[in-house]
Amino acid sequence: MVITSLERDEYGCPRFRGCTNIREFEFLGKLGEGTFGEVYKARSKKDNTIVALKKILMHNERDGFPITALREIKLLKMLSHTNILHLREMAVERSKGEGRKKPSMYMVTPYMEHDLSGLLENPTVQFTEAQIKCYMLQLLEGLKYLHANRILHRDMKAANLLISNKGILQIADFGLARPYEEPPPEPGKGGGEARRDYTTLVVTRWYRPPELLLQLRRYTTAIDMWGVGCVFGEMFKGKPILAGNSDLNQAQLIFNLVGSPTEETMPGWSLLPGCEGVKNFGNRSGRLFEVFKDQDPTAVSLLGELLKLDWRKRINAIDALKHPYFSNLPLPARPGELPSFEDSHELDRRRFRGQRAPMPPAPVGGSIATAANGSWTTASSNRHSVAENKINRLPNAARSTRPHPSAGHGDSQPRSFDNRLAESYPRAGLGEESHSGSWRRGGLPPKPPAPAHQWPNGNVNRFGRERDYNRPGGRSEVLVDSYVPRVSTNPVEYSRERDGSVSISTDGHDYPGNHQHPRQEHARDNPSRRRSRSPYARDGFRGTDRAFYRR
Amino acid sequence: MATPASSGLKFLSNALATPEQLSNSSSAIDGVAPDLEASIRFAGALLTQAAGVLLRLSQDIIAQAIVTFTRFWIGSEGGSLRIYNVKDVSAAALYLTAKLSFQPTSPRSVLNVYGFLLSKEASPLWCINPTPVRATDPPPNPESYVLTEGQYQAQRLVLMRTEAIILRTLGFNTHVALPHTVSLTYLQTLGVTAPGVAKRVFGHLNSALLSPQLLCVTHQPNALAVAAIYLAAREEGVKLVDSEWWEVFDVDREELGFLVVGMRSMEGFAQAEFDKWKGRSVPMTVEEVESEIERRGTEGE
Repeated sequence: MVITSLERDEYGCPRFRGCTNIREFEFLGKLGEGTFGEVYKARSKKDNTIVALKKILMHNERDGFPITALREIKLLKMLSHTNILHLREMAVERSKGEGRKKPSMYMVTPYMEHDLSGLLENPTVQFTEAQIKCYMLQLLEGLKYLHANRILHRDMKAANLLISNKGILQIADFGLARPYEEPPPEPGKGGGEARRDYTTLVVTRWYRPPELLLQLRRYTTAIDMWGVGCVFGEMFKGKPILAGNSDLNQAQLIFNLVGSPTEETMPGWSLLPGCEGVKNFGNRSGRLFEVFKDQDPTAVSLLGELLKLDWRKRINAIDALKHPYFSNLPLPARPGELPSFEDSHELDRRRFRGQRAPMPPAPVGGSIATAANGSWTTASSNRHSVAENKINRLPNAARSTRPHPSAGHGDSQPRSFDNRLAESYPRAGLGEESHSGSWRRGGLPPKPPAPAHQWPNGNVNRFGRERDYNRPGGRSEVLVDSYVPRVSTNPVEYSRERDGSVSISTDGHDYPGNHQHPRQEHARDNPSRRRSRSPYARDGFRGTDRAFYRR
Repeated sequence: MATPASSGLKFLSNALATPEQLSNSSSAIDGVAPDLEASIRFAGALLTQAAGVLLRLSQDIIAQAIVTFTRFWIGSEGGSLRIYNVKDVSAAALYLTAKLSFQPTSPRSVLNVYGFLLSKEASPLWCINPTPVRATDPPPNPESYVLTEGQYQAQRLVLMRTEAIILRTLGFNTHVALPHTVSLTYLQTLGVTAPGVAKRVFGHLNSALLSPQLLCVTHQPNALAVAAIYLAAREEGVKLVDSEWWEVFDVDREELGFLVVGMRSMEGFAQAEFDKWKGRSVPMTVEEVESEIERRGTEGE
């Protein structure tokens, strides 16, 4: 163990020091875009480790350095837990020449190969029960630590859970997190009671708990536990379980699943302002056991505890860790026993889909709305309710309205998880002619799950797997990571751009005939599918029992 | 990875300056005399404290802002008085600290307050306005301290830029653990109930923020708290337990002695500063620092 002092850190550097220069890192490619910045993969020249660099976007900062970024950095600097993403240092990029341009700041964290959302969208990855338990345990340990340190995460979602190839899960993206002023949760007492008001503009919609949708301002750590429940269900279903297309719809989906609120199931609910003015949610009973009938009863029992309408009784992380689910067979896997998969990140998936991420926007959060100029919001701002749009005074919102080739179909469609379904279950029926369009079309009806027996012979195989078999793995890595995708209005121009910037001229060999076709954009745009479809260590597993796990 | 021991202490402890950092400040490298640097830093901390009071921020925010302000000037990587205006760093440190706290404040409020405090006619601070404003005097001309819209816009940009510079210089190390809360816990542990002692303890801790020995970046909160309690109990004539009680709080006799001397010297230091600058204002901008250095140069000849 390294002895650390209060003057010097474990690397022997003074603890008081400025930011590292960005030239200490070698950029290896773009990974994705978070709430307030872009994320890159890089190699540290100092110790040759692979890191992720999160760039902090700084436009429209009326109030100076974004408070969300400041909070995230301050919190991460204080936290130290295996299941919380570790902030190694801060790096600064000074622009050469022009004195006017502001330097960019980067957060330096260890590189994690996947996020949970990406892993779940990868159709070749099936989670075993032991694996789900392993991830759940780690997630709950991380949250227990956060809540014990009186921090609310406020943006629990699968996409914010990073997973390494060593099977370690880490909670990331503290852009909406904040210190919590109440006592930390105690065993057997749920989330306790809050005494002060917080903003309700938090948590990505699909993971937002009912009390937030009904505008409770005195919320507790229980809001994060609801998110855990959503993630838990998502691991069984392979897709978000509550994908509302508006706040009201979200509330309806919730009450459809777990039953309408009553004074018994959600005491005090009728005193809350309500969701978009609606306060009547009918009289439905919960159907959790029906929806999750394929799962073990103890699993559904834990799920029910996490998805409890009454935020005072909703289970806290301490108690959830002691739930029988984790002591029943099959026992949780140890992180080291889990298989490793090919990297899956947001951008890989986007390429896979051929469109920008379909997630609902991360909420603006905090008291300073301008700070949350996230690209999530740009991706889908035309789909929210008016109320939400008002909040999202985004400098770059215009980007989202940029039509893409199939603008006629996709953009105006109400957003649901149809999309994800459509994309995670590619089918043979998806004909050639629909390539450039259907991938990004939001309006397709929900697809049935793929047949269990075989991999469909859809375009996925053509551009994805076959290619994989034909080419040495090493090169494809480089290819994938060194290119920065953008949704372009003009596919041809787009591919020209790519050809110019990255040497991929041999790329076409793998699918001759596609060259001059506009579809090419799509084809080339898809190296990720190839990646995400070839796990290192799952050979015997492919396809056969996939549907079993991913229904 | 950090060891469990050090990571568990993160909430309660601060990063400290290394001896090299203390003996090599950026300003010293740029040729600012050590006594001038100490004077300016002291005045800047006073300015920050006064601004915090006028902004009605609570003392813990003000104290954290002063520590951040002090950290900024430390070491060869820190800021130099010949490059950055003390007044801007003070304002940005306060704004930044308030932003991270439960009591954020607006750029306009901050700049209005600094406009007033930096006015050579209206400021109540001796280090800026050497002729004290008396109640019997006619009120100062508002034009001497009210910002025009143009000035406000310009200074807001400076505030934002300085905020980013502070963050960069400190490597985003914005966490400051204060000795105040710890000292109350210690007092309770020691069974001291006299309110006079607690008041005195806070007095010493707040003046330690202004110390020329930079006590708050060289010692941990527990040591500062113990020293303040030791001194306060002495001054108030309250008897503490007989044994070497400071050992219980992980402070050794040597460190305690040093801190007690440092804290006790604050009053004399403040008076000496006041006398030294009598009739003149302490430099608050790069230009003023330059002309002070020039003045000293010609005086020396």
